[in-house]
Order: sequence, then structure tokens, then C-alpha cells
Amino acid sequence: MTATRRLRAAAFALAALTLALWVMDVVRQLQLGIADSGLASYGVAGVAAVVVAVAVARQPGGERMALVIAVWLCASALDDLTVDWPVSRSATTAWMLARGLAPSAYALMVLAYPSGRLRRRGERLLVAFAVVVGLVWMGAPLLFFRPGACSTCAPRVSSWLYTGTTFDYLPVGQASWSAFIALGLVFVVLLVRRLHAAPPGARVTLLPLGLAVFFAAAEFIAQRVVWLGGWQSPVAALDWIDRANALLLPLAIFVGLAAIRRRRGALGDLVVELGRAGPGQVQPALARAVGDATLELALWIPDREEFVDEAGKRIDTNAIPPGRALTAIGPPAKPLAALIHDERLLGQRTLLEAAGSAARLALENTRLQAELRAQLAELRDSRARIVEVADAERRRLERDLHDGAQQRLLALGLALQLLRERSADPELLGQAEAELQTALRELRDLARGIHPTILSEQGLGPAVRSLADRAAIPITVEAGEERYPAAIETAAYFVVAEALNNIAKHAAARSAAVTVDRRNGRLQVGISDDGCGGAVATAGGGLQGLADRVAAVGGSLTVASEPGAGTTLQVELPCGS
Amino acid sequence: MRLVIADDSALVRDGLRHALQAHGHNVTATAADAEELLSVIQHAPPDVALVDIRMPPTHTTEGLRAAAQIRGENPDVAVLVLSQYVDADFALTLLRDSPAGSGYLLKDRITQLTVLTDAIERLARGETVIDPELVDLLLHRPATSCRLTDLTDREHEVLALVAEGLSDRAIAERLWLTQKTVETHVRHILAKLALPPDADHNRRVLAVLTYLRAA
Repeated sequence: MTATRRLRAAAFALAALTLALWVMDVVRQLQLGIADSGLASYGVAGVAAVVVAVAVARQPGGERMALVIAVWLCASALDDLTVDWPVSRSATTAWMLARGLAPSAYALMVLAYPSGRLRRRGERLLVAFAVVVGLVWMGAPLLFFRPGACSTCAPRVSSWLYTGTTFDYLPVGQASWSAFIALGLVFVVLLVRRLHAAPPGARVTLLPLGLAVFFAAAEFIAQRVVWLGGWQSPVAALDWIDRANALLLPLAIFVGLAAIRRRRGALGDLVVELGRAGPGQVQPALARAVGDATLELALWIPDREEFVDEAGKRIDTNAIPPGRALTAIGPPAKPLAALIHDERLLGQRTLLEAAGSAARLALENTRLQAELRAQLAELRDSRARIVEVADAERRRLERDLHDGAQQRLLALGLALQLLRERSADPELLGQAEAELQTALRELRDLARGIHPTILSEQGLGPAVRSLADRAAIPITVEAGEERYPAAIETAAYFVVAEALNNIAKHAAARSAAVTVDRRNGRLQVGISDDGCGGAVATAGGGLQGLADRVAAVGGSLTVASEPGAGTTLQVELPCGS
Repeated sequence: MRLVIADDSALVRDGLRHALQAHGHNVTATAADAEELLSVIQHAPPDVALVDIRMPPTHTTEGLRAAAQIRGENPDVAVLVLSQYVDADFALTLLRDSPAGSGYLLKDRITQLTVLTDAIERLARGETVIDPELVDLLLHRPATSCRLTDLTDREHEVLALVAEGLSDRAIAERLWLTQKTVETHVRHILAKLALPPDADHNRRVLAVLTYLRAA
């Protein structure tokens, strides 16, 4: 028999015993004719509590907790026993022991929730003290009680442990009560502390603890009233609290355990959910599973030895704000990822670790994706930088041509003019001048091809119109005077230039149209012709080059070119604002 | 005639000054950048300022901006912008505010002194000057040339010279026609292109250039 099954069997046995005691007591009260209106509620509460204890025992992982509940229920039942039935030493002994141990059983049940074990030193100490105080309290009547010595006391016979001597143990009882009240205060403090340290999203699971605090406080107040009033018999309020306690607490524990189980079940769902999780969905799934909406996922990038978020942004693990904590997933030396979560979740390390293991595969994926995205971002940046450098280089080259070679040619031309004044050979001079004019024109065209000044000075619209002025077929241009970032204007200009070039060379078009406008915050450039169509982007070809140029600045290019229906290039570029 | 030359290249500046002085012009001052040019003109306004379009600091179109400023502050000073760019938008920018006395010539023309001095003299008379190469580019735009099919060959020639900024008399001289014949041609051209028969021939230049550029 496994330990779990042994625990469950013990819980069942105790529950059965408790039920038997209750039934016996009810029957006895009916026999004696002392049953009052409270009997029904008493019986129902008892039976219901036992049923709940059994239900808890049947929950996987609830066996130990059920046993603890059953111990308390049994102690309560013995405590409630009308002890003159049957008139026996055994009943008296059991009753007294049960009375003495019932408070510690109660403390044990509440503090051991939800695992059935006492995990903290303070809690263990409290229960131990409660046992000691309980034994001292009931030890005196166990050893010295003689029926008749106390007219109001119920037992008709002494206990098995009766020493044969009597002793005025009333002060011991009073001192014990004081000790119980002190312990009760400590108990409330411990509970409040646990409530405070509870993780977010665990409200239902805290129900038993909250109820216990409420009952303890209510009972404490009621007892003070009884104490101060000097009444010997318990007042109705105490009775009521005890019954509600007996029913509601086990019920709350059952509900709480079910809620905890549901959260564990959420882990099972997590495995399924993560199997389907796309990028960016792992973090929300984990947050749901551990019940912390603020949970952040940090992915470890081994190359950079740092954590990044799912978007690839660096996370500084040395700057975690107070109230937050980091739990690594995977081996500490080589973490796969980390969860940054509400500090209070640290008490549920098992839950965190279980969630972490469930998420491992998906995390590995997410991490690879984040790594890839980081690399892509880097690649994109470097590509944009390369284009930027190339553009700057073009502008420099254009300037050098104009300000260097061209000025020298012009100076040469002026010198030729002076030579003409002194009239050497006019025919030879004429030839030289013609050569010079050709050289100047070619230089001008070369410089324009490298970088047209009209583009940087007057913008995309005038620059495109200037291209259209030079085209071999009529080009309609629809473009405003709006300016865009230099890199964007340059990319758009060269796309139009290359496209018009292609149209002239391959399209056999009669006319073409270029449109430039801003739509949805993007620069949209369209180039269409009425030519033969059938243009395809081949590696190393003009179209592919255009697509690369556009992609380098974060844009996109689409080509529609059905044979016989002309070609339309649509370019979309970011505007920068 | 009093001239001022602004060019950041000392080689070109000095060469041009020598060449123009040899042609009997009086180059009163030279400037290496727009700032210097503006102060020179403030002190001793010339008849015509020859301004390189590219000057420090950016070496792009400082000359155009300096020209606009000169024409705004000293409307009596004619400005000839010497440009490396065959771009209609630059020329239209220059002409838009005050076509009379504004000129846009390719810088290559400084090596053709007769063309250059002719332009300087026309500007001094308050005419407009547009480089023939730019006019040629506009006239032969495919979109434009199909709208000019109604014109006769002679009218084509006259239109080109009108666009260059020549006066009717100058066109008559250039084409060996009487001034009256030229006037008739011009009237026909303007009617065919649905342009207003404008008396001021400088406004006419702007209208024709804008027409040639449209669509």
C-alpha cells in the first residue's frame, strides 16, 4: 500500500469514526429527551463536514489534508460528546483528551492548508505550544477529577488516569485559557501574514485562511465576553461559531484545493496551448497559468550573455524593481529563460518551475525567434547603413565631379577663348572647343546619373518630373512638393529612374505614368506603363535590384506584369513620421 | 557695363574676369560665396551679376537663393545664374518672381563668350534669358511635342526663341524676318496654345515655359 493510499485510508477511517460518534450522540440526545432546536443543525453540520472531508481525501494530493481535517472533526465530535453516555471511564478519558487537543487540531488544520504539512517553524511551534497548553489544561481534570467535586461538570465518572486524590485545578484551567487566548492572537498574526504573502490570482485558494481568521476573531471576542461576564456555560454565540466552523472550514478547504488543482490543470492546458503558441503568445499563456498578469518573459541570448524580451530588447536583470522577482528556467549556469513576476509567487516555486518546464519547448522556439529577430534587426540596420553610406558617397562623387573636373574644363575653355583672341589656328581651336563642350555635357550627365542635385534641393516631385522631361515617351507625373527623409527620397528616385529606363528598353510602351503621394503614413510610388508586360524579377536583374534597394530602407515593392497588360510597379516606403 | 562675378573657383573667376574685360566689360568686383556677393552688391550695385549656382557651404543651389535675394533687394541689378543643371524647375524658381532681368544659363556657356556677352547685354536691357539647351529639352518632351503638332516649322522656331527670352526684334534678327512677321507668328502661336496675348514679353516667357512644362 502506498503512502498516499495509507493516508487516504486513515482519513476515511477517522471520518467514519467521527460520523459514528455524531450519530451516536444524536441518538443518545433523542433517547434522553434533551434534544433541542439546535440538534438538527448540529447533526447536518457534522454529517456535511464528514462528507466534505471524504471529498477532500478523494482529491489527488488532498489525502494528507483530509487526514488533518478528519483529526480535527473527530476531536470536535469527541469534544461535543454528551459524556454521560455511556457512563464509562473510556468515554471520560477520550472526552477530556479530545477537549485538550481540539484547539491544536484546529490550528494544525488551518496552518497546514493546503498541503497538510506545517512548513514554517513559527507554525510548528504554535501547534506544539497548543498541544502542551491543551494537555496541561485537561491534564489536571484527567489526573484529579472526581465526580461530585464539581457540581456543574458533566462526567459522572473519573478518567482512566485518575490518581485518587483531588486538587483545586480551577486556576490551572484559567491560566490555560489565558495561554490559549495568547496563542490565538499569534495564530491570527500568522494567518494574516500568510494572507499578505499570498501570490496574486489566488483569491479563492485563500478562502479557508480568511474564514479561519474571521472565526478565530469572532470566537476570541465571544470568549472575552464570556470570560468578562463570568459565565460558566458557553453562550449560544460560541455554539454557533463552532458549528459554522465545523461545516464552513472543511468546505472552504475543499473549494480552495479545487481551485489550486484548477491552477495546476491550467499548467496542463499550458502545454497544449504552448504547442500552438505563435510568437508573442508564450508570455500571456504563462501569465495565465501562474495567475500573474504582470509576468514578463526574459529570454537568454547565449552569444550576448544577456536577457532580452520577445521583441529582442535587452532586459537588465540587475534593475528588477522592488516587489518583483526573477525565476530562472533551465540549469542556473545555462538558463533558457527567466520569468520576472510578482515577488509573492516565490512561495509557489513548484508552480513556477512546473510552468517553466511546460513552457520549455515553446520557450526554446521563442528564444530562437527572438535571436533571429535580433539578428534580422541588426541586418536591417546594417543594410540601411550600407545604403546610407553609398548614398553619401554618391553625393560626394557628384560634388567632386562638379567642383573638380568640371571647373578645370571650364577654366580650360576660358583659356581657349583667350587663345582665340590671339588667333592661332581657328579651325583647330573650333575642334578643341567642340570636344570640350562634349566633355562638359558628358560630365554633367554623369554627375546627374550619380546624384541629381534637383532631388536633394527640390525634392522627389521636381526630380521625377525632371526624369520625365528626359524620357523618350510621354510620362504623366502626379507628384506634390512634399519632402521626405533623404534616404527615402533617394530610394524612390532611383526606383523611378530604373523603372523608366526599363520601360524605355523593354516595354514597347506608348506612355507611362508616375504617381507619388503619402497614404496611411507611407510614401506610395506607382509606375505604370501600357507596354507589353511580362516583366519578372530575376536574381541580379534590374527589378530584383530595385526590390533590394527598397527593402534596405524598410519598404516593399510589388510588380504586376501580365503579358499584354502593361507593367505596374508599386513601391511603399516608410515616411519617417 | 559694370559686372560682378561670383564663383567659388578662383580658376574660373579669374579666367572669366579676364575674358569679359577683354570684351570691354568692366568687372567691378568678384566674390567667392553668396555672402560676399551680397555685400559687394550692397556697396556698388553693378548692371549685371554673374552668379554660379553652386557655392559654399553646400555647393548645391546657393546661387539661386542669392539671386532671389538680389532681385528682391536691388531690382535694378540683373542676375545671370550660371548653372550645371539642366532642370526646368530651377529655372522656373528663378523666373517666377521677376522674370525681367533674370537669366538661367548653363555654365558651359562661359566658354562661348559671344553667347555669354549676348545674354549679359539682353539682361542689362531688362530681358529674360533661358538657356537654349533647357528650352530644347522642354520642347522635345514627348508629352509636349504631341501638343505642338498644330504649329508650323517656322512657328516652332519662333516658339523656341520666345522661350529663350528673346524679344521680337531679336527673333527677327536671328531668323532674318521682319519684326512684323515675327509678331504675327507669335500671335498665332499664343492663340494655338490658348495662351493670353501678353504685351510684356518677359511674362510671356514664363507663360510659355510653364506651358511647355505642363503635363
